Amino acid sequence: MFGDGAPTNRFEDFDKAEVLLLIGSNTTDAHPVVANRIKKAVKNGVKLIVIDPRKIDMTKSAEKHLQLKVGSDIALLNAMMHVIIEEGLYDKDYIARVSEGFDELKEKVSMYTPEYASEITRVAADDIREVARMYASADHGMIAYTLGITEHHFGVNNVFDIANIALLTGNIGKEGTGIMPLRGQNNVQGAGDMGCLPNQLTGGLKVVNEADRKIFEDAWGAELPAEVGHTQTAMLEKMTAGKMKALYVIGENPILADVNMHHTTQAIRNVDLLIVQDLFLHETAKIADVVLPARSWAEVDGTYTNADRRVQRTRQGIEAHPNTKGDWQILCEIATLMGYEMNYNSSEEIWNEVRSLVPHMFGGMTYERFDNEGGLNYPCPSVDHPGTFILHERFHQGIELKEKSRFVPVDFSPPAEPTDDEYPLTLTTGRRYEQYNTNSQTAYYPEKIKLKQTEETVDMHADDAASLNIEDGEYVEVASRRGKVKVKAKICKKMQKGDVFMSFHWAEVPTNSLTIDEFDPISGTAEYKACAVKISKLA
Amino acid sequence: MGKQEVKMICSYCGTGCGLIVEVEDNKIVKVRGDKESAVNKGQTCIKGSFAYNYVHAKERLTTPLIRKNGELQPATWKEALSFIAEKLTSFKKDFGPDSMSIFACARATNETNYVTQKFARAVLGMNNIDGCNRT
Repeated sequence: MFGDGAPTNRFEDFDKAEVLLLIGSNTTDAHPVVANRIKKAVKNGVKLIVIDPRKIDMTKSAEKHLQLKVGSDIALLNAMMHVIIEEGLYDKDYIARVSEGFDELKEKVSMYTPEYASEITRVAADDIREVARMYASADHGMIAYTLGITEHHFGVNNVFDIANIALLTGNIGKEGTGIMPLRGQNNVQGAGDMGCLPNQLTGGLKVVNEADRKIFEDAWGAELPAEVGHTQTAMLEKMTAGKMKALYVIGENPILADVNMHHTTQAIRNVDLLIVQDLFLHETAKIADVVLPARSWAEVDGTYTNADRRVQRTRQGIEAHPNTKGDWQILCEIATLMGYEMNYNSSEEIWNEVRSLVPHMFGGMTYERFDNEGGLNYPCPSVDHPGTFILHERFHQGIELKEKSRFVPVDFSPPAEPTDDEYPLTLTTGRRYEQYNTNSQTAYYPEKIKLKQTEETVDMHADDAASLNIEDGEYVEVASRRGKVKVKAKICKKMQKGDVFMSFHWAEVPTNSLTIDEFDPISGTAEYKACAVKISKLA
Repeated sequence: MGKQEVKMICSYCGTGCGLIVEVEDNKIVKVRGDKESAVNKGQTCIKGSFAYNYVHAKERLTTPLIRKNGELQPATWKEALSFIAEKLTSFKKDFGPDSMSIFACARATNETNYVTQKFARAVLGMNNIDGCNRT
């Protein structure tokens, strides 16, 4: 596949698309400024198609909303490709030059007739046909997605299928097209790009590749382990099994943020040494063996990489409390105490080390250029390089590629925990507009700001509430096979019957005590988006 | 210290909005969108413009803590970092590098993340490093 974990295009391309498929992205709440950009693009003629189980705010700007069943995206995308192939709407010349495996894809999607997919997705067959034609017929079709795609036990297959449909229609490698995963945190992209992944070194180089490791071994004067490490979810499993002695958590609150809270807590309690480096004594810090007071966003210098591969410079504006230390200073001091001398005088010095090690990615990005030019999109190999706006442009240069992109046909599989008589509702989780993750930062709004929502609710369809004799605003119990919480019910027009929605922003209502610890076998991402629950009135 | 304006990048979602942060006497007094930023052209959301007071919260940690007799108790940096260095060194020796793991931070800077994985690989000798990247 052509994918390498990076968005293919830039935010600017939303303005240049003809059709934009927005899949599993509650953009208004999770990426408000991107939502504004998309809404403006719609006013200028971009046709927006929202594919989401909820009638989210973005549907107001949409030409079409496909309100599919939670977790049925592959059935829908396969049916769209079925239509595109059957009606000859795919880009034949393009796929002949750049792709391989078309026949396998064709065979895979042949059974996904719109009628069959309609049974799985609850979306009308003719709507599937219409949207397939719209996307495939456009000269510039673009796709943006968020965690509604990835937070499933088949999340990687979802991503493959998005790549399949984009490739099939020639929508990779030119402006106004491509695939944009909207990242939920300011530096998800950068943390991965820097090598904070079990299989990747800095700049996307591979742990298992000896030549790649050697670059770092030479620079660091250390032999590096050749085996891929564990994902976060696999580490938690090892902790549960008593095989992990130490866990060092930097700026994260996994107890509240991870699925199946009870299980996570037990796993983390099982390590001999839990180090938490953060701003607050949050739920995970409270059970730590050592807590280190770190510095916040406003107190540090450095760079972040956003959701369109743009590296941007952020600057220190506040002098931190003198008894706190910056994250990298702390790590350098521990390294030095362990006999590996690590010293940097500034974040710029660290960044220049990154530039020197992976120049093909970041070589041309100096702090001076960030100051003068603003953000720069990687790859940016030299100081006179403008940065790369669109990846895979060679796909549209009319040449036959030597290394072709392979289609990865995938099958639909349902969420891990189906609803049944005992747990008849599907809980899907996500974010709300004013809060951020476990709320350790957004709990501090100034009083003058009147918030729309100040406590958790379970959002549900009026018919489901009526059948349970539950009124809007009433406190109820939501229970899954793993836990239960007391929470206020909210009758909500966004919901479809059978689905309920909660966020995980408030510690008082630990939603992740309900969620299921089922993970994607490749990425290790947990299925936050679907588990079976029941709701009952409080006695 | 007086008043100054500092260009920062928003620390919340992955959009990466440019912000102009107004600082007075070492306190953030106002945040507005950076009109020069190609990402947001001066716009911000409620989190970007108003959710900054956590920086000044009295609940911020200002001393290292070490668990002694079951309770987290204040410690000096020297004590805390020496304790960690000794423990990690002994785990590495007695149980091997694979007995250690790091959850890195998708909110921290590239520079912190680069140093974090360098620490994992060059110092601890393992690749058990991951983040909330996946959530």
